[in-house]
Amino acid sequence: MLDHLLADLANAMGPDRARAEPLELALYARDAGVQAGAAAAVCFPRHADDVAAAVAAARRHGVPFVARGSGTGLAGGATPMEEPLVIVTTQMNRVLDIDVASRRAWVEPGVLNLDLSRAVAPYGLHYAPDPSSQQACTIGGNVATNAGGPHCLASGVTAAHVLAVDVVLPDATTARLGGLAPDTPGYDLRGVFVGSEGTMGIATKIAVRLQPNPPTVRTLLLDFTAIDDAAATVSAIIAAGVLPAALEMMDAEITRAVEDFVGAGYPRDADAVLLVELDGLADGVAADVAAVSDLAMAHGARNVRVAADEAERQLLWKGRKSAFGAIARIAPDYYLHDAVVPRTQLVTVLREVYAIADECALTMMNVFHAGDGNLHPLIVFDARVPGVWERVHEAGNRILTACIRAGGVLSGEHGVGLEKRDLMPLLFSPDDLALQGRLVDAFDPDGLANPAKVLPAGSRCGEIGRRPVPEGAWI
Amino acid sequence: MSTPLGLDPDELVACVACGLCLPHCPTYRVTNLEIASPRGRIAAMRAVEQGVVPLDGVFVRAMEECVQCRGCEAACPSGVPFGHLMEGARAALASQPIADARRSPLARRATERVALSWVLTRHRVLLTLTWLLWAAQHVHLVPRRLGVPRLRAADLRTPLTAPSGDATADAWLFTGCVMDAWQRGVHRAALEVLGAVGVRASRPGPGGDCCGALHVHSGRRDEARKLARRVIDSMPGTAPIVVDAAGCGAALRDYGHLLGTEEAAAFAARVRDFSEYAVSQGAAEHLVATGERVVVQDPCHLRHVQKAHPAVRDLLGRAYRLAETADDGLCCGAGGAYSVQQPALAQSIRARKAGALREAGADADTVVCSANPGCTFHLAAAGFVVEHPAELAARALSREPVSRPT
Ligand SMILES: Cc1cc2nc3c(=O)[nH]c(=O)nc-3n(C[C@H](O)[C@H](O)[C@H](O)COP(=O)(O)OP(=O)(O)OC[C@H]3O[C@@H](n4cnc5c(N)ncnc54)[C@H](O)[C@@H]3O)c2cc1C
Ligand code: SF4
Ligand code: SF4
Repeated sequence: MLDHLLADLANAMGPDRARAEPLELALYARDAGVQAGAAAAVCFPRHADDVAAAVAAARRHGVPFVARGSGTGLAGGATPMEEPLVIVTTQMNRVLDIDVASRRAWVEPGVLNLDLSRAVAPYGLHYAPDPSSQQACTIGGNVATNAGGPHCLASGVTAAHVLAVDVVLPDATTARLGGLAPDTPGYDLRGVFVGSEGTMGIATKIAVRLQPNPPTVRTLLLDFTAIDDAAATVSAIIAAGVLPAALEMMDAEITRAVEDFVGAGYPRDADAVLLVELDGLADGVAADVAAVSDLAMAHGARNVRVAADEAERQLLWKGRKSAFGAIARIAPDYYLHDAVVPRTQLVTVLREVYAIADECALTMMNVFHAGDGNLHPLIVFDARVPGVWERVHEAGNRILTACIRAGGVLSGEHGVGLEKRDLMPLLFSPDDLALQGRLVDAFDPDGLANPAKVLPAGSRCGEIGRRPVPEGAWI
Repeated sequence: MSTPLGLDPDELVACVACGLCLPHCPTYRVTNLEIASPRGRIAAMRAVEQGVVPLDGVFVRAMEECVQCRGCEAACPSGVPFGHLMEGARAALASQPIADARRSPLARRATERVALSWVLTRHRVLLTLTWLLWAAQHVHLVPRRLGVPRLRAADLRTPLTAPSGDATADAWLFTGCVMDAWQRGVHRAALEVLGAVGVRASRPGPGGDCCGALHVHSGRRDEARKLARRVIDSMPGTAPIVVDAAGCGAALRDYGHLLGTEEAAAFAARVRDFSEYAVSQGAAEHLVATGERVVVQDPCHLRHVQKAHPAVRDLLGRAYRLAETADDGLCCGAGGAYSVQQPALAQSIRARKAGALREAGADADTVVCSANPGCTFHLAAAGFVVEHPAELAARALSREPVSRPT
């Protein structure tokens, strides 16, 4: 069967575009999350027709398929389950059209987020959603996970920046969801597709909104000796009516790890730091800088540093955006949570989260989009230590339960994928889940598109006979 | 040491698979394939070490296609010592013959062996071959795309003015193998700049003519160690060791690690890139503004490994109008002998670099500045006019006593 699939793919896409070498398959067995699966084959389409041909071939041979961008996902979204065909979009990486006057661009799904911003920079424009992984992740992956980033506080997450998506549906037909008109009539299928994590089809062409670069940008580093003070400052800034472009927080350990990598002058002895970016017209920004500095000092900040120039600003951001990667300096494995809590609950939830980590004897750190209450409690550990997984598991569940109890939700931006799938019932009733199941079924009645993701087993029709999650997998 | 590659498991697990290195990898940028990426190469090493996949031609090729530019290492927030892992993997592969049609052709590997073991380490052989090459060039037998620089008989005939093996000198100028044969003009320029700031430099004594960088890269660590010992002996004392080839400089700086002795570590600590040393001696103040525009290309081993690239700007910034490329210092594809070993990939990578250079303003009249011979040859073969920072500095040297503004 595999040989036939490969032959079909090679036939449709050209030789060497589909492979099943054991080594190469192993490299597509996981994303940046913790859990590995196994692929039957991997293919590298160059345009939408290739993608449609790949989906059709997979169908013909009864093999499921999963789309993959750069594999920077943290929830196992691109992890191949049930031995699928992995359809890699990284060679579909052209910026097709930039419409400066209308401030929009059509791109292929494999364009890297930062490459898009670089491509439009000469026109004084940028693409606003900036996940910390922006140098490496693809626009297709961003659409599929509805990615957020530090600068989504003021401008909204990916969904607010996607106008239209051309997709290959799970039955191998194509469709355009959404449109360039300000308000496309009919159901908002574009909205349904954004965040669908590859379970409703594969995006092959995306129309994104571009933003003009702000005339003035100031970045402030606020340095605290108590994490509670930092959290309180976050609430105070928003309560005062200032809407920063970005408002990020890092705790003591993560700040040190980051400073070891970038050497940006982050205070190594701080208990927490806030990175605040203010942008707009020069006068307004100056007033906001003063207001934020005053609020910080009033809430016990030790120091307020304003980046002197663009280079210093870039270096500070490089630090923040390297945070997840830099933690390997502390321990080789991490488990990252992604939960949103009401901003007013930040102080309480943070305390609780640290207490849980202490009780489970785990090292925990926090780096997060404080402005919108999107916590990223990060547990770092060495998976080679016996018994550690159980403790990580326990702490994870308790943390999420605590967040939800405080009125929060499960996933801020990384998606549900494989890892958070079985936690969905914590947030949704069986009826809610069944409704979501029916929605996916409408797109993918045969359950071939990225199986075993997002919804817990039993939420969809036609699941009987599916293979369970492999032995040793941690969900 | 019972694993197939004998790599350090702690170094391997340091990679958290975040993917932040992907865009900084030249081979990933031109292929967009995981197997040609740093994360993929590390995962491949892990899979082979754990016995999950066989040590076959697919694996060997994934290793051989790496330029060893270490752009990934500089970009990795987790501090994965990629260069070390790759050198280890190469060393393990060099010691076990793997016959598999999917790796690079045998003929190419055989040529490499002759070049590394018989030519680079015997300076006289290299010089003789260089004369033959000069003759061939003279009768137009050497195609330009091979990247061999235009050799000048006068340069080859005239030895450098600096003494050799003079332990009383202020500094040593490491002259190297290919560089001395093909780019002696750069050494001349370096000596001129050092002379202008009153530094008396000596060439190494006997044996100091091949740093072993290419040997380390192709997994021939034992040969590299032998060469390293020779080089250390050729420049005794405590005087700084100035290197005007970024690749050699990076290799010399790694001797402590290669040999694992205190003596080697002490030697490595004396190594300076030419621009770094020249700036520390105040050479920048001796240059006059030329108004000329120059596009700066950072050799990987200057930027990602030695992290000495700012010094080039410090040295030349006042004399030239410097322009930067917008590609985050992505490799040009030269990579020591890489352009010969993996010509197809090297050319795709160079095409990308060429685009970035042109965008920054490099053209027939605008010089590209590069501090490494490999990059220089590789870019010159693509039609760029390439000069070394030492040559540019020498050209801008004030012929008059410096008058400082008060
Ligand atoms: C260091 C680090 C920092 C991060 N920071 C952030 C952050 O700040 N904010 C944030 O939101 N995320 C963040 N992430 C997570 C991740 O980068 C995002 O989820 C990103 O959107 C994934 O893009 P990708 O191209 O890597 O997609 P992949 O990981 O390859 O895939 C992600 C999901 O999208 C699906 N998919 C991919 N391409 C398509 C397509 N063309 N059509 C349909 N489905 C598709 C896959 O099936 C999968 O379910 C971070 C990750 C890392 C490693
Ligand atoms: S090498 Fe470093 S940057 Fe690359 S995937 Fe591994 S941890 Fe991330
Ligand atoms: S050394 Fe260079 S070519 Fe090799 S993996 Fe790293 S970035 Fe890629």
